[in-house]
Amino acid sequence: MNIQTKAIAAPAIYSEEIKEPSKIKTEFFRRYFRVVHMLFAVLLLIQLLPDQLATETYASYSIWFAAGVEALTLIASALIKKPAALNLFVDIVAFIYGLLIAWTLATAKFNILKAALFPPPGKVFWQFTGDFDKILTNIQSSVGIILQGYLMAIAVAIPLGLFLGWSARLGSAAAYISKFLGAIPPIVYIPYGIALLPTFRSVSVFVIFLATFWPVLGGTMSGVMNVDKKTIDSAKVLNVGKFTMLFSVILPASLQNIFIGCNQGLTVSFVLLTSAEMIGAQSGLGYYIKNYSDFGDYTRTIVGLIVVGIVIVAISFLFNRIQKFLLRWKQ
Amino acid sequence: MNKIEIKNLTVDYTEKKKSFTALKNVSFSIEEGEFVSIIGSSGCGKSTLLSILEGINTATEGEILINGEPVTGTGPDRGVVFQHYSLFPWMTARRNVAFGIKQVNKTASRAERYQLADKFLDKVGLEQFKNKYPSQLSGGMQQRVAIARALAMDTDILLMDEPFGAIDAKNRTILQELLLELWENATPRKTVVFVTHDIDEAILLSDKIVMMTANPGRVYREIKVPFERPRNRSKLVQTGEYTKFRNELLSLFYSDIVSRIGGEEVVL
Repeated sequence: MNIQTKAIAAPAIYSEEIKEPSKIKTEFFRRYFRVVHMLFAVLLLIQLLPDQLATETYASYSIWFAAGVEALTLIASALIKKPAALNLFVDIVAFIYGLLIAWTLATAKFNILKAALFPPPGKVFWQFTGDFDKILTNIQSSVGIILQGYLMAIAVAIPLGLFLGWSARLGSAAAYISKFLGAIPPIVYIPYGIALLPTFRSVSVFVIFLATFWPVLGGTMSGVMNVDKKTIDSAKVLNVGKFTMLFSVILPASLQNIFIGCNQGLTVSFVLLTSAEMIGAQSGLGYYIKNYSDFGDYTRTIVGLIVVGIVIVAISFLFNRIQKFLLRWKQ
Repeated sequence: MNKIEIKNLTVDYTEKKKSFTALKNVSFSIEEGEFVSIIGSSGCGKSTLLSILEGINTATEGEILINGEPVTGTGPDRGVVFQHYSLFPWMTARRNVAFGIKQVNKTASRAERYQLADKFLDKVGLEQFKNKYPSQLSGGMQQRVAIARALAMDTDILLMDEPFGAIDAKNRTILQELLLELWENATPRKTVVFVTHDIDEAILLSDKIVMMTANPGRVYREIKVPFERPRNRSKLVQTGEYTKFRNELLSLFYSDIVSRIGGEEVVL
């Protein structure tokens, strides 16, 4: 009897010992053996095809860029814990590789697209490194204007929205007025703004202020009006003062709606600023794109497009982080 | 001396041109340091009565006096625990309690407020959960925080509107005993008005039970609870006196209901 139990126990331990390394092995495969790395290899291999255009000098920039992305992917593969998050990251990288392969083949290698309008990717990366300082200055100019107008609008609209939303009588009138004034597309203020204000920068700040002000004011007011009566009663029975009621109770309780307004304001601000910069500015990302496309420099135009995309994605990422942090108490 | 005097309180509601009377000529008084439960079936106006005491609702006629002064709104002499939603979801348990303390004690420093909050959270057994948000706590734990806040604010009067009504039976028992212990051991004892529809809860906790009746809401009976303090649930429920008293209360309760509506479904 005794012997028998031992005999059963032993293989169980043995099989577990065997299982462990195989588990590690599949985990290793899952992390590092992916289609994305094959795409990277393909991207490198197609560089060996003969060039139809005289752009061999730029190919190294393409390779360096892809190598950078590949290094980042390997680091991410090692660090990202959740399989779903890793898949997402890797899929995006695969899309970038795919795009670069198609782009390289269509331009430098087979010359299917018109060379003047479609520079090969290596040339774009080369241009990007060459223009880096200029691009940085333009980002600074655009983001500076947006931040100034945007933050000023938020600083005015949130307290005003809290006050108007909380005041039963003023609130309903203000809701109609803000609906009317908010319905006017802010871009139509530009000509009047140019007449009123001395510089392009001040006009831009003014228009972004308007573009952000109305949605944030509306979001704040609707947030305040929709605060649960039970929350207000809980605060009332604690005898909170008017100031505490507005800023410690009503403000956090309506934060979700305030963020909806802020998000809308941010999106519109970018559209507005880049359009405005194309019309009348001497700096900024919109100006960079417009200026070089006027001179037929489409390499720089594409650089500008990519940079605008990156800047907007970075800012929305930051915005979402802030929102997540401030609403961390929500499930 | 009477701490709270409720005099001829009448409350009429008008909704879509239909008016109904939630409370009709309700009068009774509560002594300092007394634990009074208000029980009655749904619609008897017990929560309306409490909301007027809280100061978030007003009476059509009559008045409530606290220390001889008429109630005109909310006040720092009353702490409240609701059935739901007493806590602010964006504050941790500790901040919720500290926020309550700040409203009654403007001079205490932040550190003092947090220290006091911790003390009361310890008392209700939430040492481990001080930095959790309400959404991370169970319903019973949330009510513990609400009770800790009400006690930490150290008001003369505690108003509790079915505080354990939404909590499962086992946790309700634990919370009743916790409240009983905290209240009995405090000196001086606080004046408590406790709305419930649970007769056993009312007997265990109260000095006096005010039984109300519906349509319109009136006081049906005021009954003194004759049991000695400090009370112990398990000992109390084994005594013959308890069974007899409980049966008397139940028959009063049902005789009222049956005499008025004759066997319709009643939600207790």
